[in-house]
Amino acid sequence: MNAVWIVLAAAAAISIPALATGWAQSRIGPAVAASLAEKPELSTTAILLVAIPETMAILGFVVAVLILYRGA
Amino acid sequence: MIIPMSRIRVLGPRQQLDGVLAALQDTGLVHLTEPKPAELLQRATLGEREARRVRQLQALLREVEGLPLEPVPSREPAPAGDRSDTSAFAGWARAAGRARRTLTRLDRSIRELELERADVARYEQFVTAFRGLLPNGRGRMQSYHLVLRGDDSQAVARLRGALAGVLGEHFALEAAALPTGEQAALLLVPVAEAAKVERLLAQSGVHELPLPAGVASGEALRAQPALAERRDALDRELAELAGERRELLATQGPELMRARAAAHDRLLELGARQQAGITPRGFVIEGWLPTAAKDRLSRALARQFGAEIVAEEVSQEEWRGEEAPVVLTNPRLFRPFETLTRMLPLPRYGSIDPTPFMAVFFPMFFGLIMGDAGYGLVLALLAGVLHARSREGTAVRAVAEILGPCAAFAIAFGIGFGEFFGDLGQRWFGLRPLVLNRERALLPFLGLAVAIGFVHVVLGLVLGVINAGRRHPRQAVGRGAALAMVLFVAVALLAGLRVLPKSFFTPAVVALLLAFPVMVIAEGIIAPIEFLSTLSSMLSYARIMALGTASVMMALVANRLAGSFGSVLVGVLFGLLFHLVNFALGIFAPAIHGLRLHYVEFFGKFYSPGGQQYHPLGHWRPGQPQPSLPAKGVP
Repeated sequence: MNAVWIVLAAAAAISIPALATGWAQSRIGPAVAASLAEKPELSTTAILLVAIPETMAILGFVVAVLILYRGA
Repeated sequence: MIIPMSRIRVLGPRQQLDGVLAALQDTGLVHLTEPKPAELLQRATLGEREARRVRQLQALLREVEGLPLEPVPSREPAPAGDRSDTSAFAGWARAAGRARRTLTRLDRSIRELELERADVARYEQFVTAFRGLLPNGRGRMQSYHLVLRGDDSQAVARLRGALAGVLGEHFALEAAALPTGEQAALLLVPVAEAAKVERLLAQSGVHELPLPAGVASGEALRAQPALAERRDALDRELAELAGERRELLATQGPELMRARAAAHDRLLELGARQQAGITPRGFVIEGWLPTAAKDRLSRALARQFGAEIVAEEVSQEEWRGEEAPVVLTNPRLFRPFETLTRMLPLPRYGSIDPTPFMAVFFPMFFGLIMGDAGYGLVLALLAGVLHARSREGTAVRAVAEILGPCAAFAIAFGIGFGEFFGDLGQRWFGLRPLVLNRERALLPFLGLAVAIGFVHVVLGLVLGVINAGRRHPRQAVGRGAALAMVLFVAVALLAGLRVLPKSFFTPAVVALLLAFPVMVIAEGIIAPIEFLSTLSSMLSYARIMALGTASVMMALVANRLAGSFGSVLVGVLFGLLFHLVNFALGIFAPAIHGLRLHYVEFFGKFYSPGGQQYHPLGHWRPGQPQPSLPAKGVP
């Protein structure tokens, strides 16, 4: 039973930040596309803005790994 | 690095202004700037004569730019322009006008012939289709050659029904699909019923194929040889016109390109004139040039004008660093990475050029994430192909030269991690991890990623202290205190985790508490927030481990899935496809995240944007923009 909770906790640790990242990128993406249509020179900033929320998913992944390791 | 610049001032008699500007244009060294205001000094403007010249040159450029001249590679200079007199420019304008008119005529003829050629080819298809539809024993029948829309599959059936309603059984309708998707239909009706049928066709909106000129109505089926003959004639005419066009461009092109370069050069010179200052008798030109090129400029001016023109260096006390334009110069190996630096606004003059650091850390991060010798080899191959197929100075060449070191690091780390297309190296030739096994040792890999982040961020903080020390000593103290606090936090953590002796813990915490007020006093209340953000920046480097692990897991899945298929061929194909996807992701993700770690985490600690690009007055190059010039003179 304990193993089930550990796996569920790890799954939550990665899935919730991943959903949050997806939501954030869904808001940033259209705004960035609109900005690029007017100022194509902002492409670097655009890539960075889209990549910034990915930190949440990546840190979620790290936390999930830590949970699994500690559980094991 | 950012090369040192000097501000120079050139003085001379007013009548020499144009000559000096032309000499400066020949040297291609001076980035002009407006002189500091002074008594009697006015900004030079274009007189009525110069404005007329601007209009003439702009008219010439309008004629020449519209011509399809051979493209000149953007990095190579255009054919040298000369400072020809008014009559030469007028001659060029006439020649360009003639060439443009001839080209327009030729292009129009070519377009018309091509349209006719397309019509004839299409008509040939119809005739071929109708020949197959012709039933035996036409008798006194009237034929109609119809084209029915291809997207309406019921068109023939509907037409047949409508004809049956009017003619009963007294008609024949055959249809065949054409290569264009339309349907060719041949309708035969008694001549006496022709009027009814034509009315019906008009009401139904069915098009009868128009016969080309010279082919009488009803003779379409005999038109094939005539059409083939016309097609051949059109091909000959088109070839002749294309040859005439090529010859015109070959004979006139070089001269017109010279005219274009000369006109652009002259416009640049006239534009530069507006940045000069004049007095009733003299002129002043100020500008920036690399300090190392100062003597070269002085010698060039002295050789051409003797003692009449004076070029002096403006004392450094008279200008601020922000005003100077920026020239980045780096060793050959680092130079491609300037492309990545230039994706952000240029660093301010007097600050630090991050290119050398980027040239070391970016490929390292890329290699750590990709971390596979097999993928690294494929990437090296890709970089080699791109390098061979690109020209010096283009973006593709820069990408190839950046991918090269990235591939080298990927191969090196791949050997260190014992990875060759996942675990294939292990299975095929017993490749073993030398540093760590990314598949299993996730926590050591995480530790390595965060440790690299620590080194990178601390380096950024050190550069920030140096950068601030050059202009704002107080800010430098604050940043130094923040840097010390980061180091003390690291020591305290390592002592707490027993990596360092436990006795280090208390002194580190005490030093941390002492550095805190220094940081707040020097940098303000925002400093603690920035300090916390610095600590979280280091955790952001955990993405190296996360993406690296994802990459190795994908490669392993590809290998295992490939082995799970019954058929060897299907398994190999599936494995290759999966590896291809992983390789594509393996290029994209490390590049994006490597850039992000640099731009956000590293540059944020020291980078001072706001430098202006060094644009010396020189001869025109293709693609170079022209300054806007008033076409009306200022008296």
